[in-house]
Amino acid sequence: MPGNLSDHSVLDNSVLAPPAQPASVLDDSVSADAVLKGSVLKKDFALKGRGFQPRRKYRKISRGFSRWSRMAATRVGCWLLVCALAVHLCSVCAAQDIHPPTSASAGEDTHLTAAGSGKATFYLMGPGVSSKSEVELGQEVRIPAQNVRNAGNYSAILCSDTCRSATFYVTPAPPATLTFLVHPSRVPVGQNDAVSGVALPFDQFHNLVVAPHEINFQLTSGNPNLMSRTVRTQNGIAWFRTNSGKNAGVLQVNASLDAVTSRRAVQQVASDPCNLRIKGQRTTKGIVVETELVRDCSGNPVPDGTIVTFTANSDNTKSSVDAPIKRGIARAQIEALGAATISAASGVVMGNELRIGAQP
Amino acid sequence: MMLARKLRLPIASIIMLVAISAPLLRAADSSAKVQLNVDKAGPRAVEGQTEQVILRDYRTARTSLAQALEFNTLDPLEGPFVGTAKKRLTDTVTSQRSTGLSSRYADQNHKLEAVFYAPEGDVIELHDTAEYQLQVSDGGKSIQDQHMVVHYVVLMTPAADRWVIRQLQAVPQF
Repeated sequence: MPGNLSDHSVLDNSVLAPPAQPASVLDDSVSADAVLKGSVLKKDFALKGRGFQPRRKYRKISRGFSRWSRMAATRVGCWLLVCALAVHLCSVCAAQDIHPPTSASAGEDTHLTAAGSGKATFYLMGPGVSSKSEVELGQEVRIPAQNVRNAGNYSAILCSDTCRSATFYVTPAPPATLTFLVHPSRVPVGQNDAVSGVALPFDQFHNLVVAPHEINFQLTSGNPNLMSRTVRTQNGIAWFRTNSGKNAGVLQVNASLDAVTSRRAVQQVASDPCNLRIKGQRTTKGIVVETELVRDCSGNPVPDGTIVTFTANSDNTKSSVDAPIKRGIARAQIEALGAATISAASGVVMGNELRIGAQP
Repeated sequence: MMLARKLRLPIASIIMLVAISAPLLRAADSSAKVQLNVDKAGPRAVEGQTEQVILRDYRTARTSLAQALEFNTLDPLEGPFVGTAKKRLTDTVTSQRSTGLSSRYADQNHKLEAVFYAPEGDVIELHDTAEYQLQVSDGGKSIQDQHMVVHYVVLMTPAADRWVIRQLQAVPQF
């Protein structure tokens, strides 16, 4: 286009331009006209040889000039419109630009800033909260502590002509409680990896504290300290697994994080009987047999109610009697007239054999 | 004229069909897609059947959550949520009702990773990288429509016949 314009301008200046018109205007007008009308210049050039008609040509230039004016006005108008829209959009954006808090802790007042002026509707949406209020732009928007008790992500939405939003996170407050799960509630002594515990720190608003903290686990049974271990939380969880103690009784399991402590109790009970020994004597009613004090391998008395099975073999007959342990001893009476061999068993543990002679 | 008359009935049928199916399509959109990876779970390994049940129950829970917050109803929260998670969601629905707001979770995609499974199997911690389109409206007028990527720390515990969400907490990063 610029090349064409310059070529045409030479022609137009010499032939078509009236003296009153500025050259540049004519250049543009004629060339624009030529572009728009297609063959105007060719036609006019042809006419030149046959006889010039200035009035008609002038009309064309005049018409071209008015078109140029209209086009220029339209272009300027468009640009003005675009500029106005851009300015308006920028002002709207700036008016509602939200600056959320960079860090916010659960249960603490926080605030955000909204640039601009005038009034807007402010929405706060987060875990357990959905609020709506009128705010003044350009001033600090206060978010009260009760609206940010729950840790998580929040959306701050500001609406006037249009709506804009920003998100921010609320982090948990310092640990205030420890959720402590301990298994099992009753455990035999001397078992490997029999006791386990899982501790989860929570703040006062029941948010899981996911930041790492050191938790101290302590197991005590009576005076002796069975275990003490410090474990750092990972993803808000610390755990341990350990053997049960040697003595029957209450096993205290503590988890502590600074001043926060949580206690659980595990009942340690005797394990299976160990070294089961029996004694017996013949009476008028048969044979009375009883165990010595039944203990496990650690020396703990086996709990009452544990079943001991007595078996008597005599003269091709076999009879069995189940007897529960009472006060540490199991006792049974077996009807056998002849000589008998008596044995005892509890679980998988066998006791000694006892030979009793025939009734005299 | 004849052609227009002939076309009138099919066009009306199509319009009716679209009108009827629109709410169904909208409801189906709230369903969640969930993938679960249990490779890093410990100290206890997650059994295959447990993995399937957790996957099923988490998907149900997220779909229920979306329905509850879209329609401001508490019924979908009964069952999949307990404890703190249920309390917070109940509070959200209640406050949304009072302010006339509703939140729509569309195109939910959840990538779950089990990071801790207790020795006795009584609690599992999951990390969920959730992607969804969050549309918030005030009295039917849209005030937010945003693609969200949110990281959640999730604690699930076994109940009588399912796994339930006890804690659902968004964090900036894992």
